[in-house]
Parts: sequence; structure tokens; C-alpha cells
Amino acid sequence: MAAKVPTFRVGVDIGGTFTDIVLLGRHGAIHTKKISSSVGNYAEAIVDGLLEVFAESGLNGGSIEEIRHGTTVASNAILEHKGARVGLITTKGFRDVLELRTLRMPRLYDMSWEKPPPLVERYLRRVVDERVDAQGDVERPLDETDAKTQVDALLAEKVDTIAVCLLNSFANPAHELAIKAIIADRAPNLPMSISYEVLPEIKEYERTSTTVINAYVMPIVATYLRALRKGLDAARIPARLLLMQSNGGLTTDQAAAERPMNIIESGPAGGVVGAEKLARAKGFDKIITFDMGGTTAKASMVEAGQVMRAQEQSVGAGIMASSRLLTGAGYTLKVPAIDLAEIGAGGGSHVRIDAGGALQVGPDSAGALPGPVCYGKGGTIPTVTDASVVLGYVSPTHLVGGALKIDAERARDAYKRRIAEPLGLSPEQAALGAYRIAAANMIRAIRAVSTERGRDPRGFALFAFGGNGPLFACGIAQALGIKRIVVPPAAGLFSSFGLLYADVEHHFARTFRRLLRGADLAPVDAAWRELAEAARAQLVADGFTDADMQVARSAALHYKGQSYELVIPVPDGEVDASVAALLEERFGVEHERVYGHRAGPDEPVELVSIQVIGRGMSRSGGVPTELRMTRPEPDAGEPRLAYFGAEHGWVTTPVLRRSDLKKPLQGPAIVEEYDATVLVAPGATASLDAGGNITIDL
Amino acid sequence: MTVTTVDPIDFELFKNAVFSIADEMALTVFRTTYSAVLKDNMDYSTGFADGDGRLAAQGLTLPGHLGSTPTALEAIMRHFADDMAPGDVFIMNDPFDGGMHLPDIFVFKPRYHNGERLAFACTVCHHTDVGGRVAGSNASDSTEIYAEGLRIAPMKLYEAGRLNKTIMTFIEKNVRVPVMVFGDLRAQLAACHIAEQQFAEVVAKWGPDVTKRMLQETIDYAERLTRAALRDLPDGEWSFEDWIDDDGVDYGKPIRLFVTLRKTGDKMIVDWTGSNPQVRGAINNTLSYTKSASYCAVRSVLPPNIPNNEGVFRAIEVICPPGTIGNGVLPAACAARGLTGFRMVDCMFGALAMMLPDRVKAAGDGGNTGISVGGYFSDRSPFVYVDFTCGAWGARPWADGLDGNSHMFANMALPSVEVTEAEQPISVLAFEFVPDKAGAGKWRGGVPYMRDYRLNTEEATLQVRSDRRDFRPFGLYGGSPGMASENYLDPDGEKLVLPSKLTRTFKRGEVFRHVHPGGGGWGDPLERDPALVLRDVRNEFLSAAKARSDYGVVIDTQGWTIDNAATERVRTAMRASRGWTEVPKVQWHDAPSVRKAAE
Repeated sequence: MAAKVPTFRVGVDIGGTFTDIVLLGRHGAIHTKKISSSVGNYAEAIVDGLLEVFAESGLNGGSIEEIRHGTTVASNAILEHKGARVGLITTKGFRDVLELRTLRMPRLYDMSWEKPPPLVERYLRRVVDERVDAQGDVERPLDETDAKTQVDALLAEKVDTIAVCLLNSFANPAHELAIKAIIADRAPNLPMSISYEVLPEIKEYERTSTTVINAYVMPIVATYLRALRKGLDAARIPARLLLMQSNGGLTTDQAAAERPMNIIESGPAGGVVGAEKLARAKGFDKIITFDMGGTTAKASMVEAGQVMRAQEQSVGAGIMASSRLLTGAGYTLKVPAIDLAEIGAGGGSHVRIDAGGALQVGPDSAGALPGPVCYGKGGTIPTVTDASVVLGYVSPTHLVGGALKIDAERARDAYKRRIAEPLGLSPEQAALGAYRIAAANMIRAIRAVSTERGRDPRGFALFAFGGNGPLFACGIAQALGIKRIVVPPAAGLFSSFGLLYADVEHHFARTFRRLLRGADLAPVDAAWRELAEAARAQLVADGFTDADMQVARSAALHYKGQSYELVIPVPDGEVDASVAALLEERFGVEHERVYGHRAGPDEPVELVSIQVIGRGMSRSGGVPTELRMTRPEPDAGEPRLAYFGAEHGWVTTPVLRRSDLKKPLQGPAIVEEYDATVLVAPGATASLDAGGNITIDL
Repeated sequence: MTVTTVDPIDFELFKNAVFSIADEMALTVFRTTYSAVLKDNMDYSTGFADGDGRLAAQGLTLPGHLGSTPTALEAIMRHFADDMAPGDVFIMNDPFDGGMHLPDIFVFKPRYHNGERLAFACTVCHHTDVGGRVAGSNASDSTEIYAEGLRIAPMKLYEAGRLNKTIMTFIEKNVRVPVMVFGDLRAQLAACHIAEQQFAEVVAKWGPDVTKRMLQETIDYAERLTRAALRDLPDGEWSFEDWIDDDGVDYGKPIRLFVTLRKTGDKMIVDWTGSNPQVRGAINNTLSYTKSASYCAVRSVLPPNIPNNEGVFRAIEVICPPGTIGNGVLPAACAARGLTGFRMVDCMFGALAMMLPDRVKAAGDGGNTGISVGGYFSDRSPFVYVDFTCGAWGARPWADGLDGNSHMFANMALPSVEVTEAEQPISVLAFEFVPDKAGAGKWRGGVPYMRDYRLNTEEATLQVRSDRRDFRPFGLYGGSPGMASENYLDPDGEKLVLPSKLTRTFKRGEVFRHVHPGGGGWGDPLERDPALVLRDVRNEFLSAAKARSDYGVVIDTQGWTIDNAATERVRTAMRASRGWTEVPKVQWHDAPSVRKAAE
């Protein structure tokens, strides 16, 4: 069945252990593939996986319209310190902005804390004599001879790229652009990252760090994308390649290579975007996404069809479950990204009793090796997955369609000896305790994106995915008072599947500080037009026409004197005094909603930066509402005993396939799938909709 | 294993819930406040106590506030235990009646269930101004509390839900920025409100009796963890002495800090007897602040998972005689006691290092330097610029001191230079590491930085509170002390040397430079891996000359290589000339004989 017209879109997500591939046809046919990641060259697994799908399905390279890709190749380069050798040029007197950071540490009382090493060591940071003031006026002209000397010194050190970030350049880029010309003259093919082009915004540390990160991952991302393209070409897959960005929008492979800083947190974005689009199709206004895998759980919030975005991330910060207030871990990257709260609780999290006699879950994890006790690979410390096995929630014999054998007796024995006996409990009571504490930990992530922003989670639906998300969703929803859970199709591969729902997006921002009231708005209006034009030009370059693009504007505002901003959408059309008044009012309303109060009408509101998002809509339309899995479902399993606490005791629980839920069904029930297990709590009602989503009502 | 009286799983869930409350209170303050002191310096704390005022959970907390809430709650109970009702909210800041220093205003709200008091929501925030003779109420040169601002004894801000407008009016008329102070008071009330809502859910879920029992268990649990950890430390007695240069009023008169640790079994006594009598300048501590410094240092050698509450404090007794620098009595001025607090933590590190030689760091830069520039523009509108930063840690027995990382006692963030320049009549002309200041050692001290400030308006008052000029950051177990702090006017021209504490007129175009002191080193510098010395020279943290004179490492700066033979020779000569019979435990000053041998 050699397709003449390309009709399939592909979503590919690369994880540390597995590469997940989903193919979606125009009419809803879905092929899935989970293969081991090719760690040396991630591109290999993508091509191999596609060829395997072709072999199984009769499709070929000509069947593929486009490939959408979420990748951790950039963030891994940072985590493993395997990025480029970067040279940095800064203003005289400010050589150490990158290393001084904000002086703050993420852990109190910890004498062993080590700062993340700077991505550019001090001897590769050179200063030039120049000075621009905060208003953009040149105080000391650039000494061009000095600049040439510094560029040559870096070239002599054989740097792979040069980053340039001068003080106050957001207000006037002339000196940065002059240095850019000097570099281009002396090393015509050297990749560069210029702060004014990368992030024309105030705050020197954030701008320097972002510019450096961009330079640091640039060669590795370019190399990777070239290798992937080459592999696809060799396999005769001419489809175009789109990359998922941290902000939840796609970008072309060329744009990603030029601004790799935008794809650093690419990995988890697909699932959130997919959930957002699914929710919109189902008519849900407000959802919380919950993505739980083996080592971490991530939550995010979608409201009125809007994914919540954070303006700044800390790459490689690890998981700071203690508090979102403690910063200083990781590398600061100021680009918009889907706002995720992440905690270190997954299936592999260790469960133990501490010196004070309390039961603790995580944050340390059994990892892939030795893994949970029930995998029989040498693990001895009970984990959250072992609890699910002891409780009968997860199959006592196998997982991943038989690829992974489970030893339930070993898990039960570990709970008995290490947890139950010292605490005077039965093994199932101990396991249920671990399960509930793990759920309570995950609730903290959900609170971080809901109650901590003034949102009551009870009005939200919970979209659960990832290998373990659907297993914990009921417990979490019950504790938070959430009434509805949605488990999307291919829940365990949803980070890939979600990519198929995304649009192309480009984000632009520029610092523009002034009080809204009484401001001369003409320059603001002009600057916004300029950014909108840049967004439009980028979309045209990507191949979009006016008919399939949207350009939306927003403003970052605060009360004068505050140091943090709220982002407020700006209506289309000329920005005049009436729009300014409208923005002030909308800011006040949002401030009250998020923080519980707003200032009086006399309190001046300050514009801090202007932002534009250009969006290019997929021409092949969205994802069909009716989906059809081509992978045959496994047989329904035998009913088994599962433990739901003292009030229910051990209950004989049916083990079902997803399709068995066409007729609504009362819990308890377990749905076993290739890539995930869904737990339906006693008393909850589960059903299946036309889109293949499981809905659980509590 | 201790048998607990409550179900361990229920307990873990409960503990999670009450610490979430305290954390969410902290987030509420953080997001609501206007003031940079609260936001950038996180100079505030939140907590949750049981109905008798015993602290059960602290939220994210400024370490300097660790001991403050229990002391403040004691004062509330002393005055109002029998005169408290639903809807009451308490306010206070008096250092001589439960407070710390005047800018720190406490707000407490009791929570009732069916007429029974089950809990208190607790907040303390550093306010931008509480009146007194100097803007910011932070002056280090006041000599009595009466000059420092508005003293608020424990009082009811709300009585049965009704706001006491008299108190608000008194505050409004006595502070320079009432809008900001009231805004931050609102943040504190909002945090209490959040706590009340969430605690109601807890009580609804568990019932009042279980809730009471669990709050006790939360405290007992922390006590068990603390005692178990203390039991693992050696028994004995250790003392340590350190000096503050002076109080900025009696110039040149050093101030002694002296601490003795007595550890027996599962209990630790921290005794400050022998420290200086209280001083005239405003750097006197309250006992609660001395407790905070003591707890902070002890905590750094205990496991990280112990929750902060009354249970921890039960196992650590802090003694400090009244009338001394660590426990001032009327009319002691205390606004700038931050300096003493930081240095007590460092003094504690010294004592702990005698107890646990391989686990504790040498002295860092001694905490933040306070620099403030204030005045009026030509149209009489005021400006105040305040800069409190620090960043060089002492070396550790296993690693170098951190470069550019806040002192553990106050995890402060640095304001952006670009934002400062956009908002203030000030240019920051340099903010950079300074080479050759870190104390040498097998592990070197943290590298300090300097900051240059230029005034861009007609005139202002420049006030600086720095220290570690005469008494440098000590090195441990053979490590050298860090180099002293420096202050200059016109640093790249006339380079006029200024004292460590000063108040002077600052004129348009003048440039002031502060150079922080370097962190102390740890271990014998001649044992430092030459590759690490080379790396520091390459990165210009260390000059090649100092590499030779301090470490005996000879470096070829053309090819960036180590001359191994010459290094061996120089190190041998240095070892012979210094005449150590044993490694000096503490070093305050360089040994000149070693330098000579290197030359």
C-alpha cells in the first residue's frame, strides 16, 4: 500500500531509555512504536523505529508528511556539561556576571552545596572597554582595537562559538553589533550568540546566562539536526522536520539550529499541548495535566485554552520539592516555557522509614538499574512501583506487553520486612501507606500550579498520562476534590502523541519600561508593530501564509516598585490611552486573582516588556476526533485481588482492555495497556468516548 | 526505633499538610509584597504553632529567624494567654518584649475550633521603614533604641475581628513609607488568612483531637531526629573566640565573641558567656537572634531532613548573659545587629570545627556589607538605595570555599545592576571578582568581589557598615586567613582609603569602591594540588607570584604548565622555614617566614 500522497504525521519523543514514535493518519489511524534509545546517536533510533513501523504497516517514506520532534539533546548537553567551548565578551568591570549569578543558593544549612560550574570558564571571558548607560546613551565609545584584540584572543583559544553580552545593551545594541561585525570579519563561519538578538531585555545576569546557553548548545544541536536529516534522507523520508520548543509551539529545524535556547525544555511540552488541545475539543475550560514516569511527576495548568507559561527556567536544577522559593540551582534561561511543577516522585522512588520513625517516599530513586524490587534485577529497597504490585494494581506477572517480568512475591517480602514489620502493619497496609504518601507528594506539584496561583483545583479536570500517571490519578483527584479524570489514548506515549496537536510558534519580547498612565504610547505601538512584523516574517519563512497565521500581543506589567510581573494579553489595533487604561484594569483583576488583593486606583502600573507570539496553524488540520489504534489490544486479564484500604479490604477487581469501557463501568477496575495501567477507584465511574479517551468520574 | 503513638502513615500525611500550610504562607508573602527587602533578601518567615504557642512547622525561613517565632509567641502568651478570642490578631516588634529589631514586625493569628484554640498562624517580616532617625531604620550608629523607630509592644491589631484603628494611625504617622508598610502588613494578614483556610480543611479531615495529637507528634518527631543526630556527635567541650573590629561608634575598640559548646549525649549547650558587654553602637543582639545564629550553625552539621520546629530547639540550649552583645538590655540599640548575627554563626563554625575537624568550613567574608545611599533630588523627592550583599565562603575540609554565594545565615539575592541603574541615581561601574584575596589552603577560601558605585545626582549621604578589616576571616587546620576588606574613594585615581564603617557626604561623579574580604583557607597550602593552583592562575583568581609565595607552586604562564621540579624545591624550602611542630588549628595572620622562603 504505497501511499502517493503523504498523509501521516509523526510525533517522536526521545527519552533516556526509550524513543517513542507515534504515526497519525488523516483519518485517525495510529501506529505506535517504543524502541530503545540509541544513546550515541539519537537520530539512529528515530530512523530505525520508522523503518520498523514501515515494515509492519506497509507505509513508506513517501507516506510521511512531517515529523515533529521533542528532544532532550540540548538539555542533556547542559546537564552533562558536554556543550561547546564558548568564549564570552562582556563590558569591562563585569567579567563575572555569569559566575556570580544571583548569589543565592537553593539549599539552606547545606555546607556541601556546590554552585553549578559556569558554562564559560573565567579565562574564556574577556572584557572590552565601553559603556552604555541605562537610557541607551553611549558613555564610553567602544574601543574597537581592544575589541579586536579580545576576539583574536578567544579565537587563539580555539573557541567553537562566541557569545556577546554587554551591560545595558537592551537599551542600545550598537556596541554589540559592532563586535558582531568584528567577529564575522575575523572568523566568517564561527557561530555567534548576540544578547540583543537573543534576548533584548533588562537584567544582565538573565540575559548573559541565556545568551551563553544559546551559544553553548548551538553546535551540538546543529550537528544533531544535520545527522537526523541525513538519516531521514538516506531512508528516503523527505518529510520536513519540526522541533518542539519549550513554549509548547513547534519551530522549523533551521530556526531551532539558530536559536537552540528555545528547545531546551522540549521534552515534556508535547504532552501538555496535546492535553490542552484534547481538552478544548472535549469542551473542558480548565484542566490540570499530570505526567508521571519512573523518576519524576510533572504538573501544569491550562485555563481558558491557555497553557500557563513561565518566563524563566532553571535548566538542570534537579527537583526542588522543598519550595519554589529557593532558587540558585541550575542554569538560568529566560525564554518562555510551559510552566511545569516537577517533583521527584515516580514509580522508582524509594520507600523507607527514617530515624524519626516516619515513612518517607523519595526523593532518591532506584532508577533503571537496579530498578524496583519486583523487577528482580537486584533492587532490595521497596519502591512505589513495588507498592502498586503488592496492592494488586499493577500486573503481578509482567509489564510492557510481556517484555518485563514482575516478581510480586519479592515485592511483598520487601514491604513486609523493611516497612510493615518495624511499623507493626500488614504488608498491604504498608504498601497502601507508601502509595498514599507518594500521591500526597504529587499533590504538592499540583498545588504549585493551582492553589499557589489562586486557583481552586476542584474546578479542574485532571488529564493523566505517562507510564504511572493513570495509576495515581484517582487517589490524587479524590484528595484534591477533583471530580473528573481524563486518560488520553496511548497515555504512556502521550509526550509523542501530543506533538501531533501542536502549532508552529515564535515568541518575541523586548524591554520597554514606562508608566502606563500618561506615557507617550507612539513608540510602544511602533515597537509592538516591529515585533509583530518580525514574527510574521519568520512564519512566512517557515512557509505559512496570512490565512494560516495568528499574531498575538501581550504586556508584562507590575505596580511600580514591584520586581515581578504578570503577563496580560493586549487587544489588536493601535495602542492608545484607552488600551493603556484597559491594560491597567486587566492587570488589577489578575493581580487580585493571583495574589488575593489589588492596589488602589492611584497606584501606578508600569509596563516592563512587550511580547508577541506568532502562530502558524497546521494546514493539514488538527487531530481527528475519532482515532483508531492499529496495534491490537492485549487480551483482557483474569480478575485479581486488589487492596483499597481497611474499609474495602481485598476486592476481586476486573482487569480490562480500554475498549471494554465502551459501556460505562463502576470501579474498582484495572485497565491494562501496552504502555500504562489505569486504576479506577471503588465507586468511580469509567467510560470511553469517541476519541478513545477514558473518562473517570468521581 | 522509637514507637510512635500515632499511625506513621497518617502522621506523614498530616506532616505534609501542615508544612504545606507554612510554605504556602511563605509564598503568599513573597508574591504579595512590594518591598525589595522581602523579595530579594527574603527577610521574612512564616510558621504554624499549636494552641499553646509551641512552634510546629516553619515555612521557608530566613535562617536568622529560626529562634525568633518561639520567643515572640512566648511574649504574646505572657500578655494575652487568658485574654484571647476568635478574630483576634496580634502585632509586635519590641526587641525587649519578644521582638528582634524594630523593622521586624510580627503578626500572629490564633485559630479556634468550637471555642477551643488549636493553632497560631505566625509571620514576621522585615519592613522597609519603621521611623527613627535614619531612613530604613537600619542605622548602625544609633546608641539607644529610642532613636531607632516605633516600638510596638505585644498588642491586638484586631480584636474579635475589629481592626484597632488607633494602632494603624500610630504606625502611619511614624513611618516614612506608610503605603509600603501597610502593603506588607496586608501580605502578612493574607498569609494568616491562607493558613486559616487550609488549617480548617485539616481539622475537618482529621478532627480536633487527632489534629492536636499530631501537632504534638510533629514536634516530638523533630526532637527525636535532632537528638538521634546529636547522639552521633562526640561528647565534650569546645570553645572559640572571634572579634568584631568595632561598633562604628567607639572606633578601633574591638568586640569579643566567645562561645563554648558543651555536648553530652543527645543534648547540646551553646554558651556565649565571656562575650563582650553590650556596646553603644546598634549591633547588639536580642537573645532570640543569638539563638537563631546558634541554631543555624548547629543545623549545618545535622542531617538536612529535620523539620524546623520547637522539637529541634528542645535539644539545643542557648545561654547568653543579659547585658552582653548577644543579649542586650534597655536601652541597647540593635537595628544593625545583622553583623553580630553573621559573626556569631562564624564563631560557632569555629567551635564546631574544633569538635568536628573534617566537617566544618573556615570563616567566610563575615556576612553582608551594608551600603546605603540616600538623599533628595532637587524637587525634594527622596531616594534610598540599599545594598546588602556578601559572597565568599570559607574553605571546606573537602572543597574550596564558594565564590559568589550568600552567607548561610541570610540567603540573599543580588539586585540586577541594570535595574539599579534604571531606577536609582547611581551607576555601578564594576562588579567583579578580585584576585589574591582568598585565604590559601589545601582548599582555598572563596574569592571575594568588589563593587564600584558612582553618584549621578548632586549630593547624597553614603553610609557603609563593613568589617573584617582588622580581624581577618580565620583559616583552619593550616589554612591561611582571607585578606581584609577595603573601602576607597576615587579608586582608580587618588585612591583615598576609607574606614570600614563610615557615614559621609557623597557628591556627583564621586566613585566609592568596596572590596569584600576573602574567605579563609582550610588545610596546608603546600598540600594543594598544583593543578588547582594552575587553574586559579589561569582564571586570574590568583597571581603567579602568589602561587609561588603562598603555595610554592611555580607556573610557566606562557605555556600554562607547572614547573614540577621547581615546585618541589620551593615547597621543601617553605616547609623547612615555617617551623610548624604541628598544624596550627586557627590562623588569623600570615606567617611572614613562609613568604620569605618562597622568595
